Amino acid sequence: MSTASTSNSPAKWVVLPHYAFAALAFLALSVLLLFSTDAFSGHYFHPKLLTLTHVAVLGWATMLMFGALYQLLPVVLDCRLYSEKLAVYTFGLLATGTILLSYSFWNFQLGWTMHLAACFLFAAFMLFNINVIQTARKAPKWTIEADFIVSSAIWLLVTGLIGLLMAVNLSAPFLPEDHVHYLKLHAHIGMAGWFLLLIIGVGAKLIPMFLLAHPEDTKKLNWSYNLINAGLVLFIFDHMLLHTKLLPLYAGMVTLGVGLFLLYLRDARNTMQRKEVDLGMQQTFVALALLLVPLGLMFVVSTEVGLPQQLMSATYLAYGISVFLGFVTALILGQTFKTLPFIVWMHAYENHVGRYKTPLPKDMYSHTLLRWQNISYLAGLVVLLTGVWFRDQHVILSGGIAFTLTAILYTINVFRMLLHKAHNLKPITYGKANA
Amino acid sequence: MEKQTPDIGAEVFDTLKYIIDPEVGINIVDLGLVYKVALQDEKLQVDLTLTTPGCPMGGTIVTAAEQILLKRFPNLDVQVELVWTPMWTTDMISEEGMNQLNGM
Repeated sequence: MSTASTSNSPAKWVVLPHYAFAALAFLALSVLLLFSTDAFSGHYFHPKLLTLTHVAVLGWATMLMFGALYQLLPVVLDCRLYSEKLAVYTFGLLATGTILLSYSFWNFQLGWTMHLAACFLFAAFMLFNINVIQTARKAPKWTIEADFIVSSAIWLLVTGLIGLLMAVNLSAPFLPEDHVHYLKLHAHIGMAGWFLLLIIGVGAKLIPMFLLAHPEDTKKLNWSYNLINAGLVLFIFDHMLLHTKLLPLYAGMVTLGVGLFLLYLRDARNTMQRKEVDLGMQQTFVALALLLVPLGLMFVVSTEVGLPQQLMSATYLAYGISVFLGFVTALILGQTFKTLPFIVWMHAYENHVGRYKTPLPKDMYSHTLLRWQNISYLAGLVVLLTGVWFRDQHVILSGGIAFTLTAILYTINVFRMLLHKAHNLKPITYGKANA
Repeated sequence: MEKQTPDIGAEVFDTLKYIIDPEVGINIVDLGLVYKVALQDEKLQVDLTLTTPGCPMGGTIVTAAEQILLKRFPNLDVQVELVWTPMWTTDMISEEGMNQLNGM
Protein backbone atom coordinates (compact mmCIF):
# COMPACT_ATOMS: atom_id res chain seq x y z
CA MET A 1 0.00 0.00 0.00
CA SER A 2 1.31 3.44 -0.85
CA THR A 3 1.40 5.76 2.09
CA ALA A 4 0.17 9.34 1.98
CA SER A 5 1.09 12.62 3.55
CA THR A 6 -1.25 14.05 6.20
CA SER A 7 -2.75 17.54 6.04
CA ASN A 8 -1.71 20.15 3.47
CA SER A 9 -4.01 22.80 4.96
CA PRO A 10 -2.68 26.33 5.34
CA ALA A 11 -2.86 28.21 8.66
CA LYS A 12 -6.23 29.69 9.53
CA TRP A 13 -4.99 33.31 9.40
CA VAL A 14 -4.28 32.75 5.70
CA VAL A 15 -7.85 31.74 4.90
CA LEU A 16 -10.33 33.15 7.42
CA PRO A 17 -9.75 36.93 6.94
CA HIS A 18 -10.92 36.48 3.33
CA TYR A 19 -14.28 35.14 4.52
CA ALA A 20 -14.66 38.01 7.03
CA PHE A 21 -13.83 40.68 4.44
CA ALA A 22 -16.08 39.09 1.82
CA ALA A 23 -19.06 38.96 4.19
CA LEU A 24 -18.61 42.64 5.08
CA ALA A 25 -18.21 43.50 1.39
CA PHE A 26 -21.47 41.69 0.60
CA LEU A 27 -23.17 43.69 3.35
CA ALA A 28 -21.66 46.93 2.01
CA LEU A 29 -22.74 45.96 -1.50
CA SER A 30 -26.36 45.45 -0.48
CA VAL A 31 -26.43 48.76 1.45
CA LEU A 32 -24.91 50.60 -1.53
CA LEU A 33 -27.58 48.98 -3.68
CA LEU A 34 -30.24 50.69 -1.55
CA PHE A 35 -28.71 54.08 -2.43
CA SER A 36 -28.27 53.31 -6.13
CA THR A 37 -31.79 52.63 -7.36
CA ASP A 38 -31.59 55.71 -9.63
CA ALA A 39 -28.56 54.31 -11.44
CA PHE A 40 -30.39 51.44 -13.10
CA SER A 41 -32.34 53.55 -15.55
CA GLY A 42 -29.52 54.34 -17.97
CA HIS A 43 -26.27 52.99 -19.37
CA TYR A 44 -24.15 50.54 -17.36
CA PHE A 45 -21.17 52.92 -17.46
CA HIS A 46 -22.39 54.79 -14.38
CA PRO A 47 -20.29 55.61 -11.28
CA LYS A 48 -22.68 53.87 -8.89
CA LEU A 49 -23.04 50.78 -11.07
CA LEU A 50 -19.27 50.61 -11.52
CA THR A 51 -18.90 50.81 -7.73
CA LEU A 52 -21.49 48.08 -7.13
CA THR A 53 -19.91 45.85 -9.77
CA HIS A 54 -16.41 46.17 -8.36
CA VAL A 55 -17.49 45.70 -4.75
CA ALA A 56 -19.31 42.56 -5.93
CA VAL A 57 -16.56 41.10 -8.09
CA LEU A 58 -13.54 42.10 -6.01
CA GLY A 59 -14.56 42.57 -2.38
CA TRP A 60 -17.18 39.85 -2.36
CA ALA A 61 -16.57 37.18 -5.01
CA THR A 62 -12.83 37.35 -5.73
CA MET A 63 -11.96 37.87 -2.06
CA LEU A 64 -13.93 34.83 -0.99
CA MET A 65 -12.63 32.74 -3.87
CA PHE A 66 -9.02 33.61 -3.00
CA GLY A 67 -9.59 32.52 0.59
CA ALA A 68 -11.44 29.36 -0.34
CA LEU A 69 -8.85 28.53 -2.98
CA TYR A 70 -5.95 28.69 -0.50
CA GLN A 71 -7.81 25.98 1.41
CA LEU A 72 -9.00 24.02 -1.61
CA LEU A 73 -5.96 24.21 -3.87
CA PRO A 74 -4.08 21.70 -1.67
CA VAL A 75 -7.15 19.42 -1.87
CA VAL A 76 -7.47 19.67 -5.66
CA LEU A 77 -3.72 19.48 -6.38
CA ASP A 78 -2.77 17.24 -3.45
CA CYS A 79 0.17 19.40 -2.32
CA ARG A 80 0.87 22.28 0.06
CA LEU A 81 0.26 25.91 -0.88
CA TYR A 82 3.49 27.42 -2.24
CA SER A 83 3.60 30.43 0.09
CA GLU A 84 1.32 31.48 2.96
CA LYS A 85 3.17 34.79 3.29
CA LEU A 86 2.45 35.62 -0.34
CA ALA A 87 -1.23 34.86 0.32
CA VAL A 88 -1.30 37.35 3.19
CA TYR A 89 0.34 40.09 1.07
CA THR A 90 -2.18 39.33 -1.68
CA PHE A 91 -5.02 39.74 0.80
CA GLY A 92 -3.69 43.15 1.91
CA LEU A 93 -3.32 44.37 -1.68
CA LEU A 94 -6.73 43.07 -2.77
CA ALA A 95 -8.51 44.55 0.27
CA THR A 96 -6.83 47.96 -0.03
CA GLY A 97 -7.24 48.02 -3.81
CA THR A 98 -10.94 47.17 -3.56
CA ILE A 99 -11.66 49.89 -0.97
CA LEU A 100 -9.73 52.52 -2.93
CA LEU A 101 -11.33 51.57 -6.24
CA SER A 102 -14.84 51.57 -4.78
CA TYR A 103 -14.22 55.01 -3.24
CA SER A 104 -12.88 56.28 -6.59
CA PHE A 105 -15.82 54.98 -8.61
CA TRP A 106 -18.48 56.13 -6.15
CA ASN A 107 -17.06 59.68 -6.17
CA PHE A 108 -15.88 59.29 -9.76
CA GLN A 109 -12.39 60.45 -8.86
CA LEU A 110 -10.26 59.42 -11.79
CA GLY A 111 -6.91 60.55 -10.38
CA TRP A 112 -4.28 58.97 -8.18
CA THR A 113 -6.68 56.99 -5.95
CA MET A 114 -7.99 55.08 -8.94
CA HIS A 115 -4.49 54.57 -10.38
CA LEU A 116 -3.18 53.37 -7.04
CA ALA A 117 -6.16 51.05 -6.60
CA ALA A 118 -5.63 49.54 -10.06
CA CYS A 119 -1.90 49.05 -9.32
CA PHE A 120 -2.67 47.37 -5.97
CA LEU A 121 -5.17 45.06 -7.62
CA PHE A 122 -2.85 44.15 -10.47
CA ALA A 123 -0.08 43.44 -7.94
CA ALA A 124 -2.51 41.27 -5.94
CA PHE A 125 -3.38 39.26 -9.07
CA MET A 126 0.30 38.91 -9.93
CA LEU A 127 1.15 37.52 -6.47
CA PHE A 128 -1.89 35.25 -6.62
CA ASN A 129 -0.70 33.88 -9.97
CA ILE A 130 2.77 33.19 -8.61
CA ASN A 131 1.23 31.33 -5.68
CA VAL A 132 -1.17 29.28 -7.82
CA ILE A 133 1.34 28.42 -10.55
CA GLN A 134 4.12 27.53 -8.12
CA THR A 135 1.70 25.37 -6.12
CA ALA A 136 0.49 23.65 -9.30
CA ARG A 137 4.10 22.91 -10.27
CA LYS A 138 4.45 20.83 -7.09
CA ALA A 139 1.31 18.79 -7.78
CA PRO A 140 2.13 15.07 -7.92
CA LYS A 141 -0.45 14.50 -10.66
CA TRP A 142 -1.70 17.03 -13.22
CA THR A 143 -5.46 16.98 -13.68
CA ILE A 144 -8.01 18.82 -15.79
CA GLU A 145 -9.10 20.64 -12.61
CA ALA A 146 -5.57 22.05 -12.36
CA ASP A 147 -5.84 23.24 -15.98
CA PHE A 148 -9.05 25.11 -15.15
CA ILE A 149 -7.64 26.72 -12.00
CA VAL A 150 -4.27 27.80 -13.43
CA SER A 151 -5.91 29.16 -16.60
CA SER A 152 -8.46 31.09 -14.54
CA ALA A 153 -5.67 32.74 -12.55
CA ILE A 154 -3.96 33.82 -15.79
CA TRP A 155 -7.24 35.22 -17.14
CA LEU A 156 -7.65 37.14 -13.87
CA LEU A 157 -4.26 38.73 -14.44
CA VAL A 158 -5.29 39.70 -17.99
CA THR A 159 -8.54 41.18 -16.60
CA GLY A 160 -6.55 43.18 -14.05
CA LEU A 161 -4.12 44.41 -16.71
CA ILE A 162 -6.96 45.68 -18.91
CA GLY A 163 -8.52 47.28 -15.83
CA LEU A 164 -5.24 49.04 -15.02
CA LEU A 165 -4.93 50.35 -18.59
CA MET A 166 -8.53 51.57 -18.48
CA ALA A 167 -7.99 53.30 -15.12
CA VAL A 168 -5.08 55.26 -16.58
CA ASN A 169 -6.97 55.87 -19.83
CA LEU A 170 -9.85 57.52 -17.96
CA SER A 171 -7.68 60.46 -16.87
CA ALA A 172 -4.96 60.32 -19.54
CA PRO A 173 -6.53 58.86 -22.69
CA PHE A 174 -4.15 56.85 -24.84
CA LEU A 175 -6.19 53.83 -26.00
CA PRO A 176 -7.40 54.01 -29.64
CA GLU A 177 -11.00 52.87 -29.05
CA ASP A 178 -13.67 54.25 -26.72
CA HIS A 179 -13.85 53.12 -23.10
CA VAL A 180 -16.91 50.88 -23.45
CA HIS A 181 -15.08 48.86 -26.11
CA TYR A 182 -12.45 47.81 -23.55
CA LEU A 183 -15.02 47.49 -20.79
CA LYS A 184 -16.71 44.66 -22.74
CA LEU A 185 -13.37 42.91 -23.05
CA HIS A 186 -12.53 43.47 -19.37
CA ALA A 187 -15.94 42.21 -18.22
CA HIS A 188 -16.09 39.10 -20.43
CA ILE A 189 -12.55 37.96 -19.65
CA GLY A 190 -13.34 38.41 -15.97
CA MET A 191 -16.66 36.57 -16.18
CA ALA A 192 -15.75 33.64 -18.45
CA GLY A 193 -11.99 33.50 -17.93
CA TRP A 194 -11.73 34.05 -14.19
CA PHE A 195 -15.05 33.22 -12.53
CA LEU A 196 -16.41 30.54 -14.85
CA LEU A 197 -13.17 28.58 -15.31
CA LEU A 198 -12.33 28.76 -11.62
CA ILE A 199 -15.81 27.69 -10.54
CA ILE A 200 -15.81 24.77 -12.98
CA GLY A 201 -12.30 23.69 -11.95
CA VAL A 202 -13.06 23.72 -8.24
CA GLY A 203 -16.68 22.59 -8.65
CA ALA A 204 -15.68 19.56 -10.70
CA LYS A 205 -13.68 18.34 -7.72
CA LEU A 206 -15.78 19.53 -4.79
CA ILE A 207 -19.36 18.96 -5.88
CA PRO A 208 -18.90 15.20 -6.53
CA MET A 209 -16.89 15.03 -3.29
CA PHE A 210 -19.74 16.56 -1.28
CA LEU A 211 -22.23 14.22 -2.96
CA LEU A 212 -20.01 11.19 -2.32
CA ALA A 213 -19.88 10.51 -6.04
CA HIS A 214 -16.85 9.45 -8.04
CA PRO A 215 -17.32 10.24 -11.75
CA GLU A 216 -14.21 8.90 -13.47
CA ASP A 217 -14.63 9.97 -17.07
CA THR A 218 -13.23 13.51 -17.48
CA LYS A 219 -13.75 13.77 -21.26
CA LYS A 220 -16.64 16.19 -20.79
CA LEU A 221 -14.47 18.39 -18.58
CA ASN A 222 -11.65 18.35 -21.15
CA TRP A 223 -14.03 19.50 -23.88
CA SER A 224 -15.60 22.03 -21.55
CA TYR A 225 -12.14 23.52 -20.91
CA ASN A 226 -11.24 23.61 -24.61
CA LEU A 227 -14.54 25.14 -25.72
CA ILE A 228 -14.68 27.90 -23.09
CA ASN A 229 -11.07 28.93 -23.66
CA ALA A 230 -11.39 28.77 -27.45
CA GLY A 231 -14.62 30.79 -27.33
CA LEU A 232 -12.98 33.40 -25.15
CA VAL A 233 -9.78 33.69 -27.22
CA LEU A 234 -11.78 33.96 -30.48
CA PHE A 235 -14.00 36.61 -28.88
CA ILE A 236 -10.93 38.66 -27.87
CA PHE A 237 -9.37 38.49 -31.37
CA ASP A 238 -12.67 39.31 -33.00
CA HIS A 239 -13.45 42.16 -30.63
CA MET A 240 -9.98 43.70 -30.96
CA LEU A 241 -9.13 43.04 -34.61
CA LEU A 242 -11.72 41.42 -36.85
CA HIS A 243 -15.10 42.94 -35.85
CA THR A 244 -17.13 40.17 -37.51
CA LYS A 245 -20.72 39.16 -36.75
CA LEU A 246 -19.57 35.85 -35.26
CA LEU A 247 -20.02 36.77 -31.59
CA PRO A 248 -23.00 34.38 -31.15
CA LEU A 249 -20.72 31.55 -32.33
CA TYR A 250 -18.20 32.29 -29.57
CA ALA A 251 -21.05 32.63 -27.09
CA GLY A 252 -22.26 29.22 -28.32
CA MET A 253 -18.85 27.67 -27.67
CA VAL A 254 -18.82 28.98 -24.10
CA THR A 255 -22.41 27.80 -23.59
CA LEU A 256 -21.56 24.34 -24.92
CA GLY A 257 -18.57 24.21 -22.55
CA VAL A 258 -20.80 25.07 -19.60
CA GLY A 259 -23.34 22.49 -20.80
CA LEU A 260 -20.67 19.77 -20.76
CA PHE A 261 -19.72 20.73 -17.21
CA LEU A 262 -23.37 20.46 -16.19
CA LEU A 263 -23.56 17.04 -17.86
CA TYR A 264 -20.47 16.00 -15.90
CA LEU A 265 -22.25 17.03 -12.70
CA ARG A 266 -25.35 15.13 -13.82
CA ASP A 267 -23.17 12.00 -14.14
CA ALA A 268 -21.90 12.65 -10.62
CA ARG A 269 -25.43 13.11 -9.34
CA ASN A 270 -26.48 9.81 -10.92
CA THR A 271 -23.79 7.94 -9.00
CA MET A 272 -24.09 9.80 -5.71
CA GLN A 273 -24.58 7.77 -2.57
CA ARG A 274 -25.89 10.66 -0.54
CA LYS A 275 -29.61 10.92 -1.05
CA GLU A 276 -30.14 13.80 1.39
CA VAL A 277 -28.88 17.12 0.03
CA ASP A 278 -28.20 19.77 2.69
CA LEU A 279 -29.02 23.50 2.44
CA GLY A 280 -25.55 24.40 1.20
CA MET A 281 -25.78 21.96 -1.69
CA GLN A 282 -29.40 22.92 -2.43
CA GLN A 283 -28.24 26.52 -2.84
CA THR A 284 -25.38 25.28 -5.08
CA PHE A 285 -27.90 23.57 -7.37
CA VAL A 286 -29.93 26.81 -7.43
CA ALA A 287 -26.75 28.61 -8.56
CA LEU A 288 -26.18 26.10 -11.35
CA ALA A 289 -29.76 26.57 -12.53
CA LEU A 290 -29.32 30.35 -12.40
CA LEU A 291 -26.33 29.99 -14.71
CA LEU A 292 -28.79 29.44 -17.54
CA VAL A 293 -30.04 33.05 -17.22
CA PRO A 294 -26.79 34.85 -18.19
CA LEU A 295 -26.09 32.21 -20.84
CA GLY A 296 -29.42 33.05 -22.48
CA LEU A 297 -28.87 36.80 -22.13
CA MET A 298 -25.35 36.43 -23.57
CA PHE A 299 -26.94 35.48 -26.92
CA VAL A 300 -29.21 38.53 -26.79
CA VAL A 301 -26.33 40.96 -26.14
CA SER A 302 -24.01 39.27 -28.65
CA THR A 303 -26.52 39.13 -31.51
CA GLU A 304 -27.60 42.78 -31.10
CA VAL A 305 -31.06 41.77 -32.28
CA GLY A 306 -32.16 45.36 -32.81
CA LEU A 307 -33.91 45.88 -29.50
CA PRO A 308 -34.82 49.49 -28.61
CA GLN A 309 -31.94 51.27 -26.88
CA GLN A 310 -33.66 51.36 -23.47
CA LEU A 311 -34.47 47.67 -23.57
CA MET A 312 -30.94 46.85 -24.72
CA SER A 313 -29.49 48.83 -21.76
CA ALA A 314 -31.81 46.95 -19.39
CA THR A 315 -30.72 43.67 -20.99
CA TYR A 316 -27.05 44.52 -20.43
CA LEU A 317 -27.77 45.34 -16.79
CA ALA A 318 -29.79 42.16 -16.32
CA TYR A 319 -26.91 40.21 -17.93
CA GLY A 320 -24.35 41.61 -15.46
CA ILE A 321 -26.67 41.18 -12.47
CA SER A 322 -27.49 37.59 -13.44
CA VAL A 323 -23.78 36.75 -13.50
CA PHE A 324 -22.54 38.48 -10.34
CA LEU A 325 -25.60 38.73 -8.10
CA GLY A 326 -27.13 35.64 -9.72
CA PHE A 327 -24.88 32.70 -10.47
CA VAL A 328 -21.70 33.75 -8.60
CA THR A 329 -23.44 35.07 -5.47
CA ALA A 330 -25.81 32.09 -5.27
CA LEU A 331 -22.88 29.73 -5.49
CA ILE A 332 -20.92 31.55 -2.80
CA LEU A 333 -23.96 31.68 -0.49
CA GLY A 334 -24.20 27.90 -0.76
CA GLN A 335 -20.57 26.86 -0.84
CA THR A 336 -19.62 29.06 2.13
CA PHE A 337 -21.60 26.62 4.26
CA LYS A 338 -19.80 23.64 2.72
CA THR A 339 -16.30 25.04 3.27
CA LEU A 340 -16.15 27.54 6.15
CA PRO A 341 -17.68 25.33 8.90
CA PHE A 342 -15.24 22.62 7.94
CA ILE A 343 -12.22 24.97 8.00
CA VAL A 344 -13.17 26.50 11.37
CA TRP A 345 -14.00 23.07 12.79
CA MET A 346 -10.63 21.68 11.74
CA HIS A 347 -8.71 24.47 13.44
CA ALA A 348 -10.88 24.43 16.58
CA TYR A 349 -11.11 20.69 17.13
CA GLU A 350 -8.23 18.91 15.40
CA ASN A 351 -6.42 18.48 18.71
CA HIS A 352 -9.56 17.32 20.52
CA VAL A 353 -10.93 14.69 18.12
CA GLY A 354 -10.48 11.21 19.54
CA ARG A 355 -10.26 12.52 23.12
CA TYR A 356 -13.42 14.58 23.54
CA LYS A 357 -16.93 14.57 22.09
CA THR A 358 -16.84 17.31 19.48
CA PRO A 359 -19.68 18.96 17.53
CA LEU A 360 -19.84 18.49 13.75
CA PRO A 361 -19.17 21.35 11.32
CA LYS A 362 -22.88 21.47 10.48
CA ASP A 363 -23.62 22.25 14.14
CA MET A 364 -21.59 25.46 14.01
CA TYR A 365 -24.08 27.69 12.20
CA SER A 366 -27.81 28.34 12.29
CA HIS A 367 -29.74 26.30 9.74
CA THR A 368 -32.78 28.54 10.27
CA LEU A 369 -30.79 31.65 9.32
CA LEU A 370 -29.35 29.80 6.33
CA ARG A 371 -32.80 28.73 5.15
CA TRP A 372 -34.09 32.33 5.36
CA GLN A 373 -30.91 33.59 3.73
CA ASN A 374 -31.53 31.34 0.73
CA ILE A 375 -35.20 32.35 0.51
CA SER A 376 -34.57 36.11 0.80
CA TYR A 377 -31.73 35.83 -1.71
CA LEU A 378 -33.85 34.21 -4.40
CA ALA A 379 -36.72 36.62 -3.77
CA GLY A 380 -34.30 39.58 -3.90
CA LEU A 381 -32.78 38.47 -7.18
CA VAL A 382 -36.13 37.96 -8.89
CA VAL A 383 -37.45 41.32 -7.63
CA LEU A 384 -34.24 43.17 -8.56
CA LEU A 385 -34.19 41.74 -12.10
CA THR A 386 -37.87 42.60 -12.50
CA GLY A 387 -37.21 46.15 -11.30
CA VAL A 388 -34.28 46.60 -13.67
CA TRP A 389 -36.26 45.18 -16.59
CA PHE A 390 -39.23 47.50 -15.96
CA ARG A 391 -37.08 50.43 -14.75
CA ASP A 392 -39.07 50.75 -11.56
CA GLN A 393 -37.05 52.25 -8.71
CA HIS A 394 -39.48 51.04 -6.02
CA VAL A 395 -39.18 47.47 -7.21
CA ILE A 396 -35.38 47.81 -7.39
CA LEU A 397 -35.41 49.15 -3.81
CA SER A 398 -37.50 46.15 -2.70
CA GLY A 399 -34.92 43.85 -4.30
CA GLY A 400 -32.17 45.79 -2.52
CA ILE A 401 -33.95 45.37 0.84
CA ALA A 402 -34.22 41.60 0.30
CA PHE A 403 -30.51 41.51 -0.61
CA THR A 404 -29.66 43.48 2.54
CA LEU A 405 -31.61 40.97 4.61
CA THR A 406 -29.74 38.16 2.86
CA ALA A 407 -26.41 39.84 3.58
CA ILE A 408 -27.28 40.39 7.26
CA LEU A 409 -28.29 36.74 7.73
CA TYR A 410 -25.18 35.56 5.87
CA THR A 411 -22.85 37.83 7.86
CA ILE A 412 -24.32 36.74 11.21
CA ASN A 413 -23.78 33.09 10.32
CA VAL A 414 -20.27 33.68 8.95
CA PHE A 415 -19.12 35.61 12.04
CA ARG A 416 -20.77 33.04 14.29
CA MET A 417 -18.46 30.47 12.71
CA LEU A 418 -15.39 32.72 12.60
CA LEU A 419 -15.71 33.49 16.32
CA HIS A 420 -16.42 29.87 17.27
CA LYS A 421 -14.24 28.49 20.07
CA ALA A 422 -14.08 24.98 21.47
CA HIS A 423 -15.48 24.97 24.99
CA ASN A 424 -16.98 22.64 27.62
CA LEU A 425 -15.84 19.53 25.80
CA LYS A 426 -16.69 16.26 27.48
CA PRO A 427 -14.23 13.36 27.37
CA ILE A 428 -15.30 10.32 25.34
CA THR A 429 -16.71 7.55 27.48
CA TYR A 430 -16.86 4.14 25.88
CA GLY A 431 -20.18 2.50 25.20
CA LYS A 432 -21.94 2.01 21.91
CA ALA A 433 -20.35 4.42 19.42
CA ASN A 434 -23.29 4.54 17.03
CA ALA A 435 -25.80 5.14 19.79
CA MET B 1 -10.73 -5.65 1.80
CA GLU B 2 -8.55 -8.01 3.83
CA LYS B 3 -8.55 -7.21 7.52
CA GLN B 4 -6.03 -8.94 9.79
CA THR B 5 -8.04 -8.66 12.92
CA PRO B 6 -6.35 -9.73 16.13
CA ASP B 7 -8.31 -10.82 19.17
CA ILE B 8 -8.84 -7.22 20.14
CA GLY B 9 -9.82 -6.34 16.55
CA ALA B 10 -13.49 -5.89 17.26
CA GLU B 11 -12.62 -3.61 20.16
CA VAL B 12 -10.32 -1.53 17.94
CA PHE B 13 -13.06 -1.13 15.32
CA ASP B 14 -15.58 -0.20 18.02
CA THR B 15 -13.17 2.40 19.39
CA LEU B 16 -12.53 3.89 15.95
CA LYS B 17 -16.28 4.28 15.49
CA TYR B 18 -16.04 7.28 17.85
CA ILE B 19 -14.26 9.20 15.10
CA ILE B 20 -16.79 10.85 12.84
CA ASP B 21 -15.90 12.13 9.37
CA PRO B 22 -16.94 15.77 9.89
CA GLU B 23 -18.14 16.33 6.33
CA VAL B 24 -20.12 13.13 5.86
CA GLY B 25 -21.24 12.89 9.46
CA ILE B 26 -20.76 9.13 9.88
CA ASN B 27 -17.96 7.24 11.61
CA ILE B 28 -14.81 6.24 9.77
CA VAL B 29 -15.38 2.50 10.27
CA ASP B 30 -18.84 2.43 8.70
CA LEU B 31 -17.58 4.79 6.01
CA GLY B 32 -15.06 2.06 5.09
CA LEU B 33 -11.99 4.19 5.74
CA VAL B 34 -10.29 1.66 8.02
CA TYR B 35 -8.37 -0.74 5.76
CA LYS B 36 -6.28 -2.77 8.16
CA VAL B 37 -5.99 -3.52 11.86
CA ALA B 38 -3.10 -5.80 12.85
CA LEU B 39 -1.50 -6.65 16.19
CA GLN B 40 2.04 -7.98 16.27
CA ASP B 41 3.59 -8.42 19.70
CA GLU B 42 2.76 -5.10 21.38
CA LYS B 43 2.47 -3.11 18.16
CA LEU B 44 -0.99 -2.17 16.91
CA GLN B 45 -0.91 -1.18 13.24
CA VAL B 46 -3.91 0.59 11.67
CA ASP B 47 -4.15 1.65 8.02
CA LEU B 48 -6.67 4.34 7.13
CA THR B 49 -7.67 6.12 3.96
CA LEU B 50 -9.76 9.21 3.13
CA THR B 51 -12.73 9.70 0.83
CA THR B 52 -10.62 11.83 -1.51
CA PRO B 53 -6.87 12.37 -1.98
CA GLY B 54 -5.65 15.67 -0.57
CA CYS B 55 -8.52 15.86 1.91
CA PRO B 56 -7.53 18.38 4.60
CA MET B 57 -8.89 16.01 7.24
CA GLY B 58 -5.96 13.64 6.77
CA GLY B 59 -3.87 14.89 9.68
CA THR B 60 -6.86 15.29 11.98
CA ILE B 61 -8.20 11.78 11.40
CA VAL B 62 -4.80 10.13 11.82
CA THR B 63 -4.10 12.06 15.04
CA ALA B 64 -7.60 11.35 16.33
CA ALA B 65 -7.24 7.62 15.64
CA GLU B 66 -3.86 7.54 17.39
CA GLN B 67 -5.16 9.46 20.39
CA ILE B 68 -8.28 7.40 20.87
CA LEU B 69 -6.44 4.08 20.46
CA LEU B 70 -3.66 5.13 22.85
CA LYS B 71 -6.26 6.08 25.41
CA ARG B 72 -8.10 2.77 24.97
CA PHE B 73 -4.98 0.59 24.72
CA PRO B 74 -2.32 2.42 26.77
CA ASN B 75 -0.02 -0.62 26.84
CA LEU B 76 0.22 -0.96 23.05
CA ASP B 77 2.50 0.79 20.60
CA VAL B 78 -0.11 2.36 18.28
CA GLN B 79 0.84 3.23 14.71
CA VAL B 80 -1.73 4.75 12.38
CA GLU B 81 -0.84 5.19 8.75
CA LEU B 82 -2.69 6.98 5.96
CA VAL B 83 -2.77 4.96 2.71
CA TRP B 84 -4.21 5.64 -0.75
CA THR B 85 -4.36 2.20 -2.31
CA PRO B 86 -6.79 0.77 -2.98
CA MET B 87 -8.64 4.01 -3.77
CA TRP B 88 -11.70 4.44 -1.54
CA THR B 89 -15.05 4.06 -3.29
CA THR B 90 -18.59 4.32 -2.01
CA ASP B 91 -18.87 0.51 -2.30
CA MET B 92 -16.78 0.38 0.88
CA ILE B 93 -19.50 2.02 2.98
CA SER B 94 -21.09 -0.54 5.30
CA GLU B 95 -24.83 -1.21 5.39
CA GLU B 96 -25.00 0.62 8.71
CA GLY B 97 -23.11 3.53 7.10
CA MET B 98 -25.53 3.66 4.16
CA ASN B 99 -28.45 3.72 6.57
CA GLN B 100 -26.88 6.62 8.49
CA LEU B 101 -26.07 8.42 5.25
CA ASN B 102 -29.64 8.30 4.10
CA GLY B 103 -31.06 9.21 7.49
CA MET B 104 -32.73 5.84 8.11
